[in-house]
Amino acid sequence: MNKKRYAIVLDTRRCIDCKACTVACKAENNVPLGRQNHRNWVTEEEVRGTYPHLGQSFTPSQCMHCANAPCKKVCPTSATGRSPEGIITVDEKRCIGCKYCMTACPYDARYYNEEIEAVDKCTFCQHRILAGRVPACVDTCPTKVRVFGDINDPTSEASKLLAKHPHRVIKEGMGTKPHLFYLI
Amino acid sequence: MSRLLEKNLSRRRFMGLSSCALATVAVGSQIKVLKSLAMTGEVGELTNLPSKDVFTSCGMCVNKCGVIARVQNGIIQKLDPNPNFFIKSRGMLCARGNAGTKVVYDPDRLKYPLIRVEGSKRGEGKFRRATWEEALDLVAKNMNDIAAKYSRASVMFASSEGTFSEHFFLQLAECFGTPNTVRHPTLCLSSNIQGFGATYGTNPTPDVLNADYVIMSGANRSEALITPDSIDMLTGDGGKRKLIYLDPRFTKTAAKADEWYPIKPGTDMAFILAMINVIVTEGLYDSAFIEEQTVGFDKLVPHIDPYTPEWAAGECEIPAEDIRRIAREFANAAPKAVYYQGRRSSFMANDTQMRRAMAILNTIVGNWDTKGGMIPNSCIKLTNHDYIAPWYDEDIPGRLEGDAITYISEKDGSWPVLRDRALAADPYPIKGMMVYKQNVLGSVPNRAKSIQLIEQMDFVCTIDITMSDTAWYSDVVLPEATYLERNDPLECLGGIVPVVAFRQPCIEPMFESKESLWIIQQIAKRLSDEIYAEFDFTMEEHIHHQVKKNPQILEDLKTKGVYFENTSPVYGKSKGTRLKTKSGKIEIYSEKYAENGHDPLPVYSSPVTVPPNRYRLLIGRHAFFTHGTTANNPYLHDIMPENTLWLNVLEAQKMGLTEGQMVKVRSAVGEQTLKLEITPKIRPDSVYMAHGFGVLSKAQTNIYGKGGSDAALIDEKYCPISGNVALHETFVEVLPA
Repeated sequence: MNKKRYAIVLDTRRCIDCKACTVACKAENNVPLGRQNHRNWVTEEEVRGTYPHLGQSFTPSQCMHCANAPCKKVCPTSATGRSPEGIITVDEKRCIGCKYCMTACPYDARYYNEEIEAVDKCTFCQHRILAGRVPACVDTCPTKVRVFGDINDPTSEASKLLAKHPHRVIKEGMGTKPHLFYLI
Repeated sequence: MSRLLEKNLSRRRFMGLSSCALATVAVGSQIKVLKSLAMTGEVGELTNLPSKDVFTSCGMCVNKCGVIARVQNGIIQKLDPNPNFFIKSRGMLCARGNAGTKVVYDPDRLKYPLIRVEGSKRGEGKFRRATWEEALDLVAKNMNDIAAKYSRASVMFASSEGTFSEHFFLQLAECFGTPNTVRHPTLCLSSNIQGFGATYGTNPTPDVLNADYVIMSGANRSEALITPDSIDMLTGDGGKRKLIYLDPRFTKTAAKADEWYPIKPGTDMAFILAMINVIVTEGLYDSAFIEEQTVGFDKLVPHIDPYTPEWAAGECEIPAEDIRRIAREFANAAPKAVYYQGRRSSFMANDTQMRRAMAILNTIVGNWDTKGGMIPNSCIKLTNHDYIAPWYDEDIPGRLEGDAITYISEKDGSWPVLRDRALAADPYPIKGMMVYKQNVLGSVPNRAKSIQLIEQMDFVCTIDITMSDTAWYSDVVLPEATYLERNDPLECLGGIVPVVAFRQPCIEPMFESKESLWIIQQIAKRLSDEIYAEFDFTMEEHIHHQVKKNPQILEDLKTKGVYFENTSPVYGKSKGTRLKTKSGKIEIYSEKYAENGHDPLPVYSSPVTVPPNRYRLLIGRHAFFTHGTTANNPYLHDIMPENTLWLNVLEAQKMGLTEGQMVKVRSAVGEQTLKLEITPKIRPDSVYMAHGFGVLSKAQTNIYGKGGSDAALIDEKYCPISGNVALHETFVEVLPA
């Protein structure tokens, strides 16, 4: 059997920017209150066109769980690691709060959690996966923008979506090999 | 994880505690609140409490989605969507649903019965903690005193939808003997119920999931979430689905629509009549259906003649060729095409007739009770709780405003009219106000007038979970247990595919909060033995009575969190049956309207022109707030800490205003100051602000002093047929603050 590789596939055309994912994540992962504290977010892209011919899209995002993660390379205490399934993790006991990783992350996916005095970020809700559930953001989404799965398993829904639809990753040129795939 | 407990928590508002005395192991934002409260003795020890998953229903808005509460060590850690609830909520939970834990563990929530300090004025917010005994005695004494001094009708009852317990409160009103109950519909959807009801005998549900062509005018489903419509709107069948969206604002629904038209506010009826004109003159209607199931089409044909697309274009500012094309596409897609009526229909004073036009348009394409069309709601039968209101051997007058509105709903009343009559004591005074979770000062237009109403009362009591503006202005405030701490009766959520939902407590009620039934029973007990006799049952008995003909309902609720009989729609159930209209058929022409002096077919009149240097004030929702009730929730407050005034870019340039500056917004009835948001997403003749800010209650600590109140600005025009307020008929000046 192949090794698992977790990823999220997103269909942003379905996103209505309702922020359910952001609040679900905060509640699930005890993210401290405050607008600046978040493990995932939805970007309201700039309005296109001029009145009355307008368009707008919304882009949900979070840690990309890069295969070539710049955050991991710069961590001086090896607090940032990778699980066998590709999840980028932070060991809060090892984290000294130097924030190099926050600077290194091209996706601005990390924040400093003052309550645990460590850098914090999306873990694909590892604890939920272990309990057989999908990440909170995936579960709660009204329009099911996100599909979570093992992309080394060709029968997973995520794999099927990637096989069927063209997709892109963000800042591909940086060579980070991100594992959030956006359907085009 | 224990490290967390040693860290510096004292910064947080709740805290002021050191961690060493705390023996609990769980970590997280909910427990931090509890720990701090445990330190002050406000809640008990937190150890050895159960861990369990509890099925219940969300209480953050009217949708009542299925929830699984993840309870660990007696603390609600997380609310997850209940996948078994797929029929209604499509297995989702929105931002508000997810923020529910912060309703329970909210430092701002009401904790104890409160009595306004003697000698203080209403609105000063000076309350003292009271025992339940003292507070309840005071409530009953005042109600009985007012009844003796004036009449039983002089105590009004205001309540809100969204709980499963409102009917107990209405039962109290009826048993007490007052006809003056006033509910939320005249601030919301009365004109929809009236306009569609007059046509179909019911207000049907559009089958959004299966429609190939959907037109939404002003129904902002990406932000004003209604399950399952908000989800189904994007589900479209193999890319065939087309969504046409009319709104003066470019909302998040506009961003999802195939076509968006910034319609001139108040002209939707012109657009609809022109669509009918095209469909009639081009013979695109369903003649067999019209022949068989409707009355009055013959009168519609000449009536519709002047309403051409060219005429409508001048009114609604949507090009005639687009109206014509949309009408043809709509008729072509029919019967799998719906002109979606939305929910809040409190736009303009002619709203009922506009909704009639919508219903007529849907009718003539034959989409009634067929896949992808307009479907009469189904419900699952529960056994009613019967009661007999006591007989009073005294003359109790009828509803205060009963004669002012043609079709006033017996329980709902009409807010703006009732208030005017009460202020004039016409024909009799209203001196007592019992409020159950309705925020009168936040929701009813012309806040200054609502304050006058309260000021002339002898007594005001509010039951709520939070210190709303109305609670802030009350004499007695009673804390209800939140939806996650209480049992609630079963309720059928009617619709195309109905389900039964319920609530069971995830944790014991915190502080001294109590289930609403207990509060109402305790008031009843103190009012009289006759009244209490009608409340002499427990919640458990009530629930078992509801399912006595089908105990499986309760079994399924306990094991799955939902009960249903079908998983997919059953169409055509109304075929061959008599509809609840006078003729028994769908009434294109309304005989009863003619008899009551209203237009039997919708007649268009142009909205009042926006005066020079003024803007039309529009209000609306966001997906993360429910009206005025959730803006103070800490999670949701993080998303939107204040509201802004939207103004079109070109207008802002003309006036030399800059992004983010404070502006004064002034109407004929009030003035508010809030931040300016300059955007291309709104018509140049209109401004917009979100509902739920500019509060008076200093106990809403996150949002007090933030943003502006729409209720303080909106003039209280209303629809004479349904009594619904007209929230978009107010003009405002915008000035630098």
